[in-house]
Amino acid sequence: MTDTATTTSSSAATGETLLDISNLSAGYSGVAVIRGVNLHIKSGEVVALLGPNGAGKTTTLLTVSGLLKALEGSVAVLGAPTTFGAPHKTARRGLAHVPEDRSLFFGLTVQENLKLGLRGSRSEQAAGYETALDLLPALKPLMGRRAGLLSGGEQQMLAMARALVGKPKLLLVDEMSLGLAPIIVERLLPIVRDIADNTGAGVLIVEQHVHLALEVADRAYVMSHGEIVLEGAAAELMERRDLLEASYLGGGLEEDA
Amino acid sequence: MKELIIALIAGVGAGGLYAMLGAGLVVAFRGSGVINFAHGAVAAYAAYTFDELRENGDVYLPWFDPIPEFGFLKTLRINNLPVKLHLGEDPSTWLAVAVALLMSAFIGLLMHFLVFRPLRNAPTLGKVIGSVGVMLYLSSIIAVNFGGQNRADVGFGGFTTDSPAVEILGGTIPRSNFYLLAAAVVMGAAVWALYRFTRFGISTRAADENEKGAALLGYSPQFIAGANWVLASVLAGAAGVLFIHKTQPALFVLFVVPALGAALFGNLSSVPGATVGGLLIGIAASGGVELADKGWWPAWLPAEGVRNTVPLLVIILILYFRGDKLPIRGSISIGRQPRAPESNNVLIGLGVCVGIAILLSNIFVSSWEAILTTSLLATLFMFSLVVLVGYLGQISLVQFSLAGVAAFTMTRLAADGTKVRPNDFFVNTGWDLPDPLAALGAVIVATIVGLVVGIPALRIRGVQLAVVTLSAVIALEDILIRNTTLLGEGAKSTNPTPEPSWFGQYVGAFNPDTNRTDYWKYTAFLILAVSLVGVAVANLRRGAMGRKFLAVRANERAAAAAGIDVSKTKMLGFGISSAIAGIAGVLFAYKLPAVSSDNFSVFAGLALLAFAYLGGITTIGGAVIGGLLVAGGLSAETLGVHFEDIDVAYINAVGAIGLIINAIVTGGEGIAMLQTDQGKHILAGLRRDPTIAPPDSVLNLTQEEIQGDVEGALV
Repeated sequence: MTDTATTTSSSAATGETLLDISNLSAGYSGVAVIRGVNLHIKSGEVVALLGPNGAGKTTTLLTVSGLLKALEGSVAVLGAPTTFGAPHKTARRGLAHVPEDRSLFFGLTVQENLKLGLRGSRSEQAAGYETALDLLPALKPLMGRRAGLLSGGEQQMLAMARALVGKPKLLLVDEMSLGLAPIIVERLLPIVRDIADNTGAGVLIVEQHVHLALEVADRAYVMSHGEIVLEGAAAELMERRDLLEASYLGGGLEEDA
Repeated sequence: MKELIIALIAGVGAGGLYAMLGAGLVVAFRGSGVINFAHGAVAAYAAYTFDELRENGDVYLPWFDPIPEFGFLKTLRINNLPVKLHLGEDPSTWLAVAVALLMSAFIGLLMHFLVFRPLRNAPTLGKVIGSVGVMLYLSSIIAVNFGGQNRADVGFGGFTTDSPAVEILGGTIPRSNFYLLAAAVVMGAAVWALYRFTRFGISTRAADENEKGAALLGYSPQFIAGANWVLASVLAGAAGVLFIHKTQPALFVLFVVPALGAALFGNLSSVPGATVGGLLIGIAASGGVELADKGWWPAWLPAEGVRNTVPLLVIILILYFRGDKLPIRGSISIGRQPRAPESNNVLIGLGVCVGIAILLSNIFVSSWEAILTTSLLATLFMFSLVVLVGYLGQISLVQFSLAGVAAFTMTRLAADGTKVRPNDFFVNTGWDLPDPLAALGAVIVATIVGLVVGIPALRIRGVQLAVVTLSAVIALEDILIRNTTLLGEGAKSTNPTPEPSWFGQYVGAFNPDTNRTDYWKYTAFLILAVSLVGVAVANLRRGAMGRKFLAVRANERAAAAAGIDVSKTKMLGFGISSAIAGIAGVLFAYKLPAVSSDNFSVFAGLALLAFAYLGGITTIGGAVIGGLLVAGGLSAETLGVHFEDIDVAYINAVGAIGLIINAIVTGGEGIAMLQTDQGKHILAGLRRDPTIAPPDSVLNLTQEEIQGDVEGALV
């Protein structure tokens, strides 16, 4: 677990831009919750989206997937704009979104859940399957079990594995640590690092465990009250705890940033 | 004993049909979360298509000509919507089968795109109304396109009328019964395997549970829903074609009731469960009918009643004991109920309506009497729906049957065993009560029956209650309304009504002088009754009881927490509503020289419900508008000046379309609510008028609305 921190900053990505959010405003029933958000992710990059509760992190992710309508600005996923109302189209282009509630199918077995995530030809499917299970071997003995009977940690692993079997080019993970013991979070988070390194996918993680997130991320954005108030390389942010704390607590940011 | 065993075995024939239909219901439910009341109607349309093609080589598309060639329209020579296609003389059987199945698939697609996709985020109520609307629409279209005459299709393949008999225990059972069993098992197994092993099937189960999750994995919930609608409809069509040799295609519409029992047996999610349930219901019904033939069986419980009570009992028992375990779809939200405001200016409205009614009546010179009283009767009946469905939020489809119970009870109580009119065919014996007492007794009986039917509502609500009450309609028709032992010889065809006399005045509508139903004292009597009941219902809404009703409608738990006795309130609602329905039934009987069970058929009841919804089921004003709209009522007959010979079926089909549009556009609020701010907003939206602000302040968002936004994205 500890060696991931050392590899982080070295793998600064230079690949193609997978996600490009520019000047995005979005919200519910016409009321903007996030305003003027600019964010981009390149391939092979792990980006953390941080911020206090209610800052608009989940709203940003929902808009990227096409579950919410952008009021202003644009979202380009894998080179094409997101279509609101058709999240399945964005997903088919290679976006995998692990939402906050995990959205597992509790009535289906682990195997069936995974099967639904598969993409592409038969050999690609087999490869995706293998990659996902190599990263999350704990699922192997649980294949025939109904997802509803899994523990919280196993469910989160399944949600991750289901996203991974499709070999996504861009992965969004919302609050992976929600409701999980810290030890499991410490085990799960480095997996997204491995995914970015091994498959060249771009990863966006929303996390409350700031320290853990910055350990695995290349860069990070910090949101507060619907706006991005801070961004930078993860290593730099690690050293500027004062800035981070200020953005969470809401005071004295302007002069610092 | 031997006969009973033979009857039980023979029951696998009908059981096979129920199983096939039940499997289709499960498929539709898993695909879209809709309990499809129109499932039997799809089977009926396929069966008619099959027979019509074999007989005449024609195919009728599932709609009607919107501009019928009646009256002056004939001269316009407008290019009408094509309805009938001729596929050549004497097409082969297999072509007919293929066309019938294609037609089912087509109807499934239409249902998906025109009704249930627009209703995908509607509250449960909206989906129920939508599916009842489709049922009413399809049965009306069947009446328009295929007419009422009997069909005598001999079937095809092994499924024929002359299927050789199999000898069992000395009795004989047609071999086709076992073919039906086999077909049901094969179909059930195929659908089960589809859901178990294929990517499509697994994704259907996934979307059934969590639409958002399926969409985020790249599956379009709407594609899944559409494909399952097609699959479900094809299953219905196959059932119709395979069973047509046993019955009249029109009867398929109501086979949805045992099919619902079967689907509930499978918990609305298991196809094998639905198959087993369907077979068991068929077997039990067949055995029950056999028992009803025995000498010791009480005569007041006729065999048809037994056949139709079995599914009702199965449905009630399953819902009562396992209702809480039935699946609720992940996307479901309670949703906003149609508003039920207090009626303002009741007396002014009453004055205007009574004035217009009197003007149109025979008291002056009009010849609109019969039409006027039809509208008045419909309005009176719809008041019962306003109380029960509008205020209390209990979707009951059975109320019009209660009107029928009252009408038949009244004739029985008032009859004196003598011929009422010279050309009456039947003579009814009875208690010879004075007419006011007979009417009172009839209303009391209707109220008691209504309370009994309402008992399941103490634990069953929403769409499940609609299922129970629909099955109760079918059972009541055979147990009570068509029961010759209880209700007199004419109960199965036409029961003569007495010549009612209240306080020395003849108040029946039949006027022997003109031989028409237009006697003015009846009209005056009816206007009085409608006024009194209308004011009472308006006051009910204003008072403490109305608030209790609305509280129970909004949230039973919250109502109980606020100190309202939910059970008592519900029973009160059922009682009041049933009493009003009973009054309407009695007055309906006063209008006619004879009543028959056809007057109170399930379709007549559904049409009234449709028009009540269309008018606005939550207000008395809506009931008045609904009364104007019904077939034979004022607006329809006014149109009839231009559309001579217009059929009831046309009007009901139009009403069904109105009902569906109403469910989609206003969430079931109806025409009466268009005058309110919400209505103005809808109208402004249609006109793109930006000056009228939306009624909901954007800052007062509820959690559901925000949730709704996210779910709304799942196109």
